[in-house]
Parts: sequence; structure tokens; C-alpha cells
Amino acid sequence: ACSNSLTSVELAASSEVIALRLKSVLKMKTLVFLVAVAFVASALADHHHECDELTRLMIKSQWTRAYSSGHEREDFAKAVWRALFAQVPDAKALFKRVNVDDLDSPEFAAHMLRVLAGLDIVISILDQPEPLKYELEHLKEQHDNRHIPDNYFDAFKTALLHVLPAQLGRCWDKDAWSVCFDYIAQGVQGHS
Amino acid sequence: MLSLLVLLGLTACGLVVEAQHCCSAQDRHIVQEQWESVWTDVESSAFRSGIGRYILLALAKAHPEVNELFKDVDIANPESGKFTAHSLRIFDAIDSIINSLDHPEVLDAELEHLADQHKVRDGVKKIHFTKLGEILHEALIHVLDDYNGLSWRACFKGVLGKISSKLQA
Repeated sequence: ACSNSLTSVELAASSEVIALRLKSVLKMKTLVFLVAVAFVASALADHHHECDELTRLMIKSQWTRAYSSGHEREDFAKAVWRALFAQVPDAKALFKRVNVDDLDSPEFAAHMLRVLAGLDIVISILDQPEPLKYELEHLKEQHDNRHIPDNYFDAFKTALLHVLPAQLGRCWDKDAWSVCFDYIAQGVQGHS
Repeated sequence: MLSLLVLLGLTACGLVVEAQHCCSAQDRHIVQEQWESVWTDVESSAFRSGIGRYILLALAKAHPEVNELFKDVDIANPESGKFTAHSLRIFDAIDSIINSLDHPEVLDAELEHLADQHKVRDGVKKIHFTKLGEILHEALIHVLDDYNGLSWRACFKGVLGKISSKLQA
């Protein structure tokens, strides 16, 4: 019984070893697999490391949903601007003329909507280089004299990227929006 | 004296009644709903710039002096990027107006801004906006599946009137 039990222990031990070996092989395979997945994923993600043709088309369709209409559009605009001022309260100084002191005032609501409408125009022609060039130039001229610090644009981006998923639900791609927003902002700022 | 007061009172009342009936809640609702169909297509930018382009070119045809006003946005080459971008601006202004119809205070602020933007453009006349109303009406009959001319005209009469309210001529 003793030797028997030893053998069973030995057996158990050897099967353990086999199992361990199998595991390590599996681990290797898993590792190889994971590495492969990572490569593919990074290759896919690379598509959105620049605001390329396909990315622009996706942004266009997602924007149409997010922009919405009527009161929903107004709420969307409000959310973006509140998120902006939460980050850079000093930016309010730039909007005195449009009654920024009262964020709920009709004057400021109209202004928020004008800015979103500007963004809407740009996004609607993201895939049409000629008009896009002129629209960005137009927006650049409108912003040139206002001396807007770069970090305000960053804050606007953060705000927009924060509110967009709330509008879009699951179907939205942060990296894509990030790179395409950068592209637009650089055009408005005159950086290239 | 009393009759004058009564007359004034009646006139004021008449104005209020007219204001309420002109672009009523129902009119605004109809306009917004009918405009929605413009947005059902994701690939709407060609459509949108197309409407803007049509409106501006039709205005320039009716009032040739308008060509000079849009010289900087290259109206001589309607298909150019510059004019396409401007056509989209016109479209988005119309779109913003329609989307604010049921928020009169915001709408007023928007129209005030548009009035200021046009006031500083020498050569822009009230008559251009009257014509613009007619052109818009003719264009939308063709473009929208459902188009209730009475509601649209009721709302855009006031809208275009306000945008052109600060013009001299």
C-alpha cells in the first residue's frame, strides 16, 4: 500500500509536472497570442493616430448624432462650455461681450450655439480639403485678434471629449476625436 | 381723448395678437419638424452647401449688385472651396435659427448678432432680405418632402426682418 501510494504520489507528481509543462507551453502560446493581438491592436489604433480619410468620415457621422437639434443641441452646448470653464475659469474674461457672467443668458446661449455651428461646418467638410482650408482660415481670422492661449484650446478639447460620449453612448472613438480635434484646433490657431 | 386711448389700446392689442399668431408655437413646431428631414442623411454636407449656394446665387441673379458684396468669398466661382465654405455658413445660420425657434430669447440674441454682422457690410439692403425670403420659400418647396409654406413664411418673415432691421436702406 505504501509503495503503491508512493507510486501514486510519484504519478501525481509527474502528472503535476506534465500539467505544469503544458501550462507553460500554454502560457507561451498565450503570450505569443497576446503579443500578436497587441500588434494588431496597435496597428488598428494607428489608424487614429492621425486624422486620416476614414477617421474623418467616422467623425462626420458621429458628430451629426452628437450635434442633434433644438433643445438637446442647446444642452449639449451648455455641457461643453461648463466643462470648459470648470477647467479654465479665467477664459471667461474673453466672453464678456456675450454676457458670460450669466451662463444661462440668451446672449451667451446664442454664442455657445454659434461656436458649435462653426465646429459643425468644419466637421461637415472634413473630407473636402478645398472648402475645409477656407473655413479654417475664416475661423483663424476670427480668432487671431483675441489672443487665445493654447491651453484654452486644450481645455475646450477636454470638455468636448468629455461631453461627446454622453451624447453618443457606446459608439464613439476617443482617439479619433482627439487627433481630428487637434487638426481642427491647429487650423484655427494657425499652428501647423 | 378717451377714443384715442381706446384706439391706442386696440392697436396695441392687435399687435400682440398678430405677434402671437405670426410664427405661433404650432408654426415653429412644423418648421422644426420639416427641417429635420434635411439632417437624416449623414452625408449632408454637399446637400447643405448646395442649398446655401443656390440661395446666394439666386439672390445675385435677382440683384446683380450683390455679386460685389460676395466678391471676397469668390462668388464668381460658385464651385470653389471659398464659396462652398461660405454657402455652408449661410446654411448653418438658417439651421441655427430654426433650431432656436422655440427659444425666442436665444433666437433674438442670434438675430441681433446677425443684424450686427450685416450692418457693417456696406451695400447690404433690406430689399435683399425680402428677396431672400422669397428664394428660401421657392427652394424649400422643392427640397423638403413636407413643406408648409404658411408656417415657414410666418416664421421667416420675422426672422429676416430682424436680421435686416439695422440696415440703413
